[in-house]
Amino acid sequence: MTLTLSNIKKYFGEKLALDIEQYTVNDGEIIGLVGNNGAGKTTMFRAILDLIKPEEGAVSIDGINPAESEDWKEITGAYVDSGFLIDYLTPEEYFDFIAKVSNISKEELDERLKPFAGFMNGEVLGQNTLIRNLSMGNKQKVGIIAAMITRPKLLILDEPFNFLDPTSQLAMKSVIENYNKETGAIVLVSSHNLTHTIDICTRVTLLEHGKILMDYDKETHKDVMKEIEDYFVGQAPVTQE
Amino acid sequence: MKAKEYWRLYRLVCKTKDLGEKRHIMFEQNKAMKWLGYLFAAFWCAYLLFFGVVLGNAMSDGPVEGFDLIDGGMIAFIALDFLVRLMLTETPAQEVKQFKLMPISVKFLIGTFLTRRILSSFNIVWLFFLVPFGLIQLPHYYGLGGFFVWVFAWWLIFAIHSQVYLIWRSLMNRNFLFTLLPVSIYAFLFYCGIFDDEYTQMIFGDNVEWLYNACLWWWRSILDGSVLPFICLGVILVLIFCLNLVIQNKAIYKEIAEVQESKVKSREMSVFNRFGIIGEYLKLEVRSIMRNAVIRKQFILGVVCMLMLSCMTAFTPVYDNNLFMKAYISMYCYCVLANMMLVNAMCPEGNYIDGLMARKESVLSLLKAKYYFNLMMFIVPFCVFLVPVIQGKSTIGESIGCMLFSAGVVMPALFQMAVYNNMTIDLNKKLTRAGRSNKMQIIVSMVALFLPMIIMYALMVLVPDYSSLILGLLGVIGIALNPLWLRNVYNRFMARRYVNMDGFRSSRNA
Repeated sequence: MTLTLSNIKKYFGEKLALDIEQYTVNDGEIIGLVGNNGAGKTTMFRAILDLIKPEEGAVSIDGINPAESEDWKEITGAYVDSGFLIDYLTPEEYFDFIAKVSNISKEELDERLKPFAGFMNGEVLGQNTLIRNLSMGNKQKVGIIAAMITRPKLLILDEPFNFLDPTSQLAMKSVIENYNKETGAIVLVSSHNLTHTIDICTRVTLLEHGKILMDYDKETHKDVMKEIEDYFVGQAPVTQE
Repeated sequence: MKAKEYWRLYRLVCKTKDLGEKRHIMFEQNKAMKWLGYLFAAFWCAYLLFFGVVLGNAMSDGPVEGFDLIDGGMIAFIALDFLVRLMLTETPAQEVKQFKLMPISVKFLIGTFLTRRILSSFNIVWLFFLVPFGLIQLPHYYGLGGFFVWVFAWWLIFAIHSQVYLIWRSLMNRNFLFTLLPVSIYAFLFYCGIFDDEYTQMIFGDNVEWLYNACLWWWRSILDGSVLPFICLGVILVLIFCLNLVIQNKAIYKEIAEVQESKVKSREMSVFNRFGIIGEYLKLEVRSIMRNAVIRKQFILGVVCMLMLSCMTAFTPVYDNNLFMKAYISMYCYCVLANMMLVNAMCPEGNYIDGLMARKESVLSLLKAKYYFNLMMFIVPFCVFLVPVIQGKSTIGESIGCMLFSAGVVMPALFQMAVYNNMTIDLNKKLTRAGRSNKMQIIVSMVALFLPMIIMYALMVLVPDYSSLILGLLGVIGIALNPLWLRNVYNRFMARRYVNMDGFRSSRNA
C-alpha cells in the first residue's frame, strides 16, 4: 500500500494553494502534517480524497487514481470536518449505517466499537441524541470512529485533536497509535498541536504556502521537535517593546 | 435630529440588506441563473401586462363593467397573492438576528423591516395586470384621476396584505399546521367569491353573491371619490403594522432561544432490511423526512397537496364537466410530491456530501432509494382514486396510466436536478424556499408540471380512446429503464462532482 502525490498543483483563483512535486507515503507510516493556517493541509487531504480537482498532477492510492476510479474508497477512511457526518442520525444509527454499506455485520461492528469505549467516555453511545445535538468534541469522536470502523488501509484525519478535552486528546493518541499497530495502515494526521503530532508520528511533514518545506523521518531525525519549533519561532512576528 | 438619525440608520440597514440579497450565495455561484431569473421575472411581468390588455379590451363590451368584475373578485387576487408570497419565508424576526447585538433598537429594526415589506417591489407585481386593464376600462367613466385612485387603492391592498402575510408566516413558522388556517380561509373566501353553485347556495342561500357585492360596494365608494375607504385602509395598515411589531418582537426571542428536542427514539425500520444497501438508504430517506424540519414540512405539504387534489377529483364535482382538467389533475396528484421533493434532489445531502463521496457508489444507491421511496408514495393517490373509479366518474385505466407516466417519465425528468443542484439546504432552518429555489429548479418544476399537460392534451385530441394506454406504455418504458437513467444521472453527477461539491461546501453555512 502506497500513497503518492505527483506534481500536484491546486489554485484558488490566482493563489497557488498546493504545489507538491513528489510525495510518497508507505505502509505503516503515521504522517504528521503540520503548518500554519492556510498552509494547504486540508487542501492536500481534499485532493487525496478527490473532494477537489487539482489543476495539475495526480494522486495514487495503492495504484488507483481517485479521480478516475472509485475503488480507492474501499481502502480509505477519512474525517475532515462535520460535512462527513449525517447529523440527523444518532451515533448508533450512523455507525450501523456505515457498517451496513461497508458489509460489516452487526456483531463485527460491536466488536470493532469495543476498543473505542474509553475514547467515547460514555458520552456518545446510548444517549438517544442526534449527532447534530452532540458537543463539537463528541461529533469529532463520532466522525473519527466512523472513519476507522471500516478498517481502512489509508486513514486521513484532519485536526483530530481539535475540540477534544485533554483526556480525550490523550485517548486519541493511543487510538491512532493502536490502530496503526494493529492494521499497519497509513495514517495521515494534520494538527496544530506539535507535541501530540510529533509524539505519535513516524514522520513529520511541514507544509507552508502549499509547498513541503520539511519532511523528517523520526528514526533518522531525532530532534524533529526542535527543528520544527525553530521554524515556527522564526515565523512569529517580533513585537516591539 | 432624532428623525435624521433614524433615517440614516434606516438607509444603512436597508443598504446592508440589499447587499445581502445581491451577494446571496445562490447568485454568486451561478451568474447565468441570475440572468435567467431576471428573464423569468420579465416574462411574467410581460405576461401580466399582455393579459391585462387582452382582458381589458375583451371586457369593454360585456353586459357588466370589466372593472366591476375585477373589483368584485378582489378576494381572488388576495388569495393568489398569498400563494405567490409563500415563496417568501423570512420574517423580520429572523432578519433582525444579524443586527441584534448592534447598538440599534430592536423595535426600530423590526419597524425598518416591516416598512421595507410595505415598500417592496413585490407589492407592485399585480399592478402589471391592473394598470393596463384599468387604463383601458376606467378613464372612460372616472377619468384619469379615478384610474390613479383605483391603482393606488389596489397597491394599498397589497401593501396591507404584505403585513397580513407576515402574521400568517410567523404562525406557520411556529407550527407548520398553522398553514391550514390561512389556506382554509383563503380557499373558502376564494370559493365563495368565485363560485355560484349548489354548495355555496347551501351555505348562503339567496345571498350567494354577498362577498362579490361587498367588494363591489367598497370599490365603487373608492371610485366615487369617497375618502372613507382610504381612511379605513390607512387605519388597517397602521393597526396591522403595530400588531406585527409586537408579534415579530416576541418571535425574535423564540428564534434566538429555541432549543431543539435532543432526545429521539431510534426505530430499526427492519422492513427495509430486505432491500440490502438500497434499504439502508431508504431508511436514511425516511429518517431525513422525520427528523429534519425543512424536509418534513416539504413532505407534509406535498402529501397534503396530493390528498387535496385527489379528494377534489374524487369527492367534488369541480372537474366533472372538464375531461381534460380531470385527467390532468389526476396526473398531477401523482407528480406533486415528487415535484416538491425531487426538485431539490441532493440539496439536503449537501450537508454530508463529503461523507457520501467517501464511499463507493453511495450516491447511486441514494438516488435509487429516492426513486423507490417516491414510487412507494404513489399508493396514497392510487387509493384515493379508487373512489371516483367506484363511482364511475373515472376508470382504473386512467389512474394507472397517470401513475405509470409519472413514475416513468415525469420522475426521470425531475431526477435531472440531482446533476445540477449544488446548494446545500439547511435542514432545520425556518427560511426555506426563498433561499433555496434557483431558477433551474423553477424551470424543471414548470417542465414537470406542464409537459404532462401538453402530452395528455395531444393524446386526448389525437387518440382519445388510447390516451391512458399510451401514457401507461411510456411510463412502463421509463420504469423498466430506471437502472439505465439512474446510472446516467449518477455518472453525470460524478462528472460534475468538483463543481457541485464546491457549491455544497460554500452554501453549507451561507
